[in-house]
Amino acid sequence: MSSTMISSHIPDLDLITSYAQREGTFFSRVSPWTKFTGLLLVILLITLTRNLVICGVLYLIILGLYASAGLPVKKLFAWYTLPVLFVISLVGIMVWTEPGTPLFSLNMGLFALTLTDNGLILIITLLLKALISVTYSLFFLMTTRYQHFSAMIYRIFPSPLDQIFLLAYRYLFLTLSMTGAIFKAVRSRGGGIIHSVRVQGRIFAEVFALVFIRSFDRAERVHQAMIARGYNGKYEAGTDMPKPGLSGFCVIGAFVCAIALIVLMVPNTGGLY
Amino acid sequence: MTIIHRDPHAPHCPPIDKKRELIHVDCASHTYPDGSVGIHDMCFYVLRDEIVALCGPNGSGKSTLLEHLNGLLTPSKGDVWVNGRSITHGERSDLWKDVGVVFQRSDDQLFAPTVLDDVMFGPLNLGMSHDDAQAAAMSALEGVGAADLVHKLPNYLSGGQKRLVSIAGVLAMKPKIMVLDEPTSDLDPLHSERVEALILRFKRDYGISVVIATHDLDFAARIADRVCLVKNGSVFAEGTPDEVFYNPVLIEEAGLTLPQTVRIYLEYCKAQGREPEQRPIRRDELIRALQLSQS
Repeated sequence: MSSTMISSHIPDLDLITSYAQREGTFFSRVSPWTKFTGLLLVILLITLTRNLVICGVLYLIILGLYASAGLPVKKLFAWYTLPVLFVISLVGIMVWTEPGTPLFSLNMGLFALTLTDNGLILIITLLLKALISVTYSLFFLMTTRYQHFSAMIYRIFPSPLDQIFLLAYRYLFLTLSMTGAIFKAVRSRGGGIIHSVRVQGRIFAEVFALVFIRSFDRAERVHQAMIARGYNGKYEAGTDMPKPGLSGFCVIGAFVCAIALIVLMVPNTGGLY
Repeated sequence: MTIIHRDPHAPHCPPIDKKRELIHVDCASHTYPDGSVGIHDMCFYVLRDEIVALCGPNGSGKSTLLEHLNGLLTPSKGDVWVNGRSITHGERSDLWKDVGVVFQRSDDQLFAPTVLDDVMFGPLNLGMSHDDAQAAAMSALEGVGAADLVHKLPNYLSGGQKRLVSIAGVLAMKPKIMVLDEPTSDLDPLHSERVEALILRFKRDYGISVVIATHDLDFAARIADRVCLVKNGSVFAEGTPDEVFYNPVLIEEAGLTLPQTVRIYLEYCKAQGREPEQRPIRRDELIRALQLSQS
């Protein structure tokens, strides 16, 4: 397997796919539809709730699921960098305007920035929500064989969205492998991302332009090869999808029951809100 | 052997056996939008039940010619006839049903999520039902000895496996003619031999005529019934492998080097001070010729 890893903080598509192709674990045998239903439930729940306890417990459950599926937890924490940065950049401004008990204040001369308890809860809740969705999405992607995933897209999405997704697959891998190869070449001659951007910005821009030109050229040739086999604008995913079994319903049922129990029984949750 | 020195003003190529004709490239030229000439007054034909090797150096026009055979390109001058139909003046949208192309770089051909999806792509375009397409794909994968790869993702296959799957993708469509662009380039010897054996089997078992573009004359010598030498966008000589490869002047003119078997035999004869009476092309023929000359 060729690695297309650009940085340890960016999810490695090759690694994700290689985990997805394993068949040995319990979760890889669970129907993709079951896991997809789980994803919808998770999204629904984190959209509805603003409760820190529910978010915390849900995050721990999903992290547990991720770990029990034999997926790499250390790498997951490294991949959290991007969602954490995203959340912080998003709430970095509004967190100071939340009403509540002040925890500390930053004097900026003309004005002061005050962090309240509600502001802190907001940032932690949003962080947890982001991590929940990222962890479950990765769990879903890394335990669902790619052919099932693409067949689901084919069945769920209307044309041309399904076509774009299905055709983007190889293109994405090829572009990533090309980018990975160029990064290797840069590193092999003493360059690095930060170093190269600073010192050799122009060359770096040219390298990126080259990746896109080559990718475009390759996409053209792929298109030609498709026409040579009778492509007429419609590509059909041929893989049969496994149907959800009893175990799948049990997993979803257990998940819903667990959340209901948390909402009803954990003190001071006060329901979803 | 035919050495083609065509009259530049003649509008057509010399006549060929119409009963056996599958492809006839009649004095075709193609110029790319940037002005570079791909092929120029090209005369070329493929008969039923034959393997034709198009041999020439890089940039001689082999790949451009191959893309004309499937209708991916149309000649700017002259005509290309496939199975009795003109691709310049007639309908060419379903030409791919007759002529299957295996591209030089398998990565350009394999685009689907899995091997099965990719091999099923052609049969589904032929209008087969999902089940029939799946059966055709499985049969083709078994035919090339790659049935175990059926659920694999193309980007995790080795170069040799990708080539076998690419060939299966075309074989599944059961074409009359199969066109392979540099089918053994970048392959290890074991996979090269597998591809070679497959090509021979296509002709023998499936009755498929095969066109191969290659600059590997050893490969062409082992496999081809007829060899066409290409230079500057035109076929300038053609004949059986022994006729073409035992003409060092012609090979040099094409910008190629003699196949190893031929070179060994010619050097052996020269060292022995005798005329090359035999014309061994394959390794077993060379061994027999050497044994004969010693006895």
